[in-house]
Amino acid sequence: MPADPYFDLAGEEFGRRLMLTTATTGQEYCLRPEYTLPIVTDYISNGVGQPAAFAYFGPIFRQRQDGPAEFEQAGLELLAQPDGDVALDQVLTFARAALDLYAVSVPNIRLGGVGLFETLLVQLDMPDPWRPRIRHRFGHTEALERLLVRLAAAPNLERTPQPGYDALLTEITEQMVDAGISLSQGRTPDEIAARYLEQQALDAEHVPAATLALLRDYLAISGPALQALTRIEQLAHQHGLDLATPLRALRRHLNELGNSSEVSFDASFSPRLDYYTGVVFEVLGRGGQALVSGGQYDRLLERLGATAPIAASGCAIWVDRLEAECAP
Amino acid sequence: MSELTLAVPSKGRLEELTRDWFAQNGLTIFRPGGPRSYLGALDGHPEVTVRFFPAGEIARELIRGTIDLGVTGTDLIHETAETGPQSVDFAKPLGFGAADVVVAVPSSWIDVTHMHDLADVASDFRSRHGRWLRVATKYITITRQHFARAGIAEYRIVESLGATEAAPASGVADIIVDITSTGSTLTANALRILEDGVMLKSQANLIVSRTANWTPDRQAQRDRLLAKLNASIKL
Repeated sequence: MPADPYFDLAGEEFGRRLMLTTATTGQEYCLRPEYTLPIVTDYISNGVGQPAAFAYFGPIFRQRQDGPAEFEQAGLELLAQPDGDVALDQVLTFARAALDLYAVSVPNIRLGGVGLFETLLVQLDMPDPWRPRIRHRFGHTEALERLLVRLAAAPNLERTPQPGYDALLTEITEQMVDAGISLSQGRTPDEIAARYLEQQALDAEHVPAATLALLRDYLAISGPALQALTRIEQLAHQHGLDLATPLRALRRHLNELGNSSEVSFDASFSPRLDYYTGVVFEVLGRGGQALVSGGQYDRLLERLGATAPIAASGCAIWVDRLEAECAP
Repeated sequence: MSELTLAVPSKGRLEELTRDWFAQNGLTIFRPGGPRSYLGALDGHPEVTVRFFPAGEIARELIRGTIDLGVTGTDLIHETAETGPQSVDFAKPLGFGAADVVVAVPSSWIDVTHMHDLADVASDFRSRHGRWLRVATKYITITRQHFARAGIAEYRIVESLGATEAAPASGVADIIVDITSTGSTLTANALRILEDGVMLKSQANLIVSRTANWTPDRQAQRDRLLAKLNASIKL
């Protein structure tokens, strides 16, 4: 299948795992690296709107450090379901059934709250432009840590007076013209000047130390799910935050999962792809590798061409790892 | 008889400097067939076969283990394969061919001075311009590794095999990752290196393959040769 949609959706980091080949036309193709993209693309091209459920099982191809490049993956895609939470429960039930099938009796299930973090972030006391910058780094522990360190140090930086918007615009435009760079095809002088000034303003508009401390406290929460959620409730209560809706959703899924002692919640856990929403999860094997991974990704269909957000949830099962897990 | 293969750059300044360096260490490299030939010898070391290869091929063959020792740039080892650095030992930096692999943006991007600025710009580039931020480079592996470490996910690489510095002006890409020794080509093209934009400091190295078939005899030959060159490897 064409490789371009995968690069477009998941970027170079995923792209380097693809098995690529070039057609005689010069077009780049890849061996199918997963099933969600072709399923969802096909669903969209057939006209969205109707609830749909897909299950798959078959070979996929990825370059990996260990194991063959061809291996089997199974999974579920629930699209445009009337109730996204019911759909996720079904996904979790499906994942559990798959684990039972392979007699993985003590699974290590890890939940993450993308929706919870987004709800928290909106309510924190900070200048608005910092919110997307923090959100963007959610799930990348090192990058987020570097930003928090930078934000904490910001009040002590020396500042020089800045030229005004018009002067900047003139200067940037001149530089771009001199360098022969198009004023319209990439970043525009207006965009650069605006971000420059925003950056200066931001450096001057500090994120309160109390907010940074709260963020750190929140991100450090990790452990048995019930305890972790209780801790988050305490934190919310203490700081006057309303996290009731996403917390209720998490508790509900926890109930659905049954034995909650096997389930942990990690406040900093999130896939690095921005189309994930709501609740995400993975089931880890004895060696820490993912046996099942999935969650809600309501922004995916929009990214692939749908005109409005459409509820989507699902999971992928690493069949070869499950087989290895249940081997004596 | 067991033999060692030493690969050195086949042409240009790198070839001269490599042969000079070996000569300074008391070992003369012969190239009996002249610049067109690809086979040579090392004076006083009949067990060593010298091969003249392009620098990129030396990196590839060292990683694969089809040659035992070679002289090539650090950058090429890192670029040729993700597992490149694990597959070889850097026995000795040779003090020439120094160059940095850097991230450079148009000088007019006055708001972008660090990698974290680039992360911010990349994250909403798509919603502003309907496409991903484009990075022109021939260093695909190095770019992917370093951008991932910097938390930059939303970009596309445009492979560029020559005149990468012209990519922003020609509209092929927005920014570049390229190799530079003095930075003058970048400045001439109105590009600026980010303050934390040096991804890799490279120079010519004497490199030993780890994946080659090292029998005890060949190990002994290798270690004698390395000792003569004041080079050593960690085993």
